[in-house]
Amino acid sequence: MPSTLQLSTTAATANMGEIVTITGQQMAQAILGSCLGIALYDPANEVGTLAHVVLPCSEGRTGPPGKFADTAIASMLESLAHQGARASQLICKLAGGASMFANNGPMQIGLQNIAAARHALDRAGIRVSAEHLEGSKGRRIRFFASTGAVEVEVAGMPKETL
Amino acid sequence: MNTLAPNLRAWKAFFATATEEASTALAVWTHGDVVLSVDEISETSLSEVALSLRLSEELVTLVRFGIDGDYGGQLLLSFDDDNARSLIQSLLRRPASNGGHWSPLELSALAETGNILASIYMNHLTELTGTRLWPTPPDVMRDYAMSVVQQAVLSQAQCEDRVMLCKTRFECMGQDVEWSLVLIPSPELMQVIERSLAGA
Repeated sequence: MPSTLQLSTTAATANMGEIVTITGQQMAQAILGSCLGIALYDPANEVGTLAHVVLPCSEGRTGPPGKFADTAIASMLESLAHQGARASQLICKLAGGASMFANNGPMQIGLQNIAAARHALDRAGIRVSAEHLEGSKGRRIRFFASTGAVEVEVAGMPKETL
Repeated sequence: MNTLAPNLRAWKAFFATATEEASTALAVWTHGDVVLSVDEISETSLSEVALSLRLSEELVTLVRFGIDGDYGGQLLLSFDDDNARSLIQSLLRRPASNGGHWSPLELSALAETGNILASIYMNHLTELTGTRLWPTPPDVMRDYAMSVVQQAVLSQAQCEDRVMLCKTRFECMGQDVEWSLVLIPSPELMQVIERSLAGA
């Protein structure tokens, strides 16, 4: 399966390590735990891209670009540039990066994902306009290309829109 | 080509034995209502984990165990709300709470169900590998299954773009039910299991 998908349908899921590009009335969704959802949106062209990042840094490891925060952001910017977007106009929203296991978990990697994404976004000159991060619960997010809105659902909490 | 577990047939035979014992124990625990069904040992890409495990996008109740001792891993038992409620009612012989808001006694019943299964699988793994493995205390949570699985596969994802999952399904009176038990060994535990099976 390719790591970057061009969609003709109205909704699609960004699975672990995937990047989804959407336009117009399309919507992208993801379920996040320690993974980080990075939504980049170009309001002028109504085009967006959502990455479902698993790990912070590629450090030379192979894998789909969406798997790592550093390679995901580079790939997303390239994809948006092909759609006519300019980095200076982009709006970024972040969600996820939870620590799902209170103790005895493998790695509390959510915070590392967030830090790596912030670093890569800083280097690209992109400001984060809204975020819904950390905690110990999973999130279901929906990202709309027509508005750039990101809906966030957390178990036992009211839905929020970024 | 299977790259993570060359002895896939041996893995399946091993887990079939563990599952048989777990099924017997679970049948006693649930008064004969629920037995364990087919084991699936699968190797899948990260992007296809949800599809491979047929994870619901809705909230579920999960009992999570870490694997402690010489090697690591994760064991997850999940139920949808209806099946969690049925199990609780069967065990406690009284109506269960609604909406996934379980009482402390109900949480304890779910955790104990997980304890029974986790202990049997850990015993079999210990016997096979000759190492010391035991489950952590259970952590009962209500969340999106995929959110929990994501963190559980991280140790494998650090090393590979594909992950290995051992899934057991359940049957109630001959019908598949929305329970699943997923064992996600750490890369180190996978290697030890693989070596043990190759030498068996």
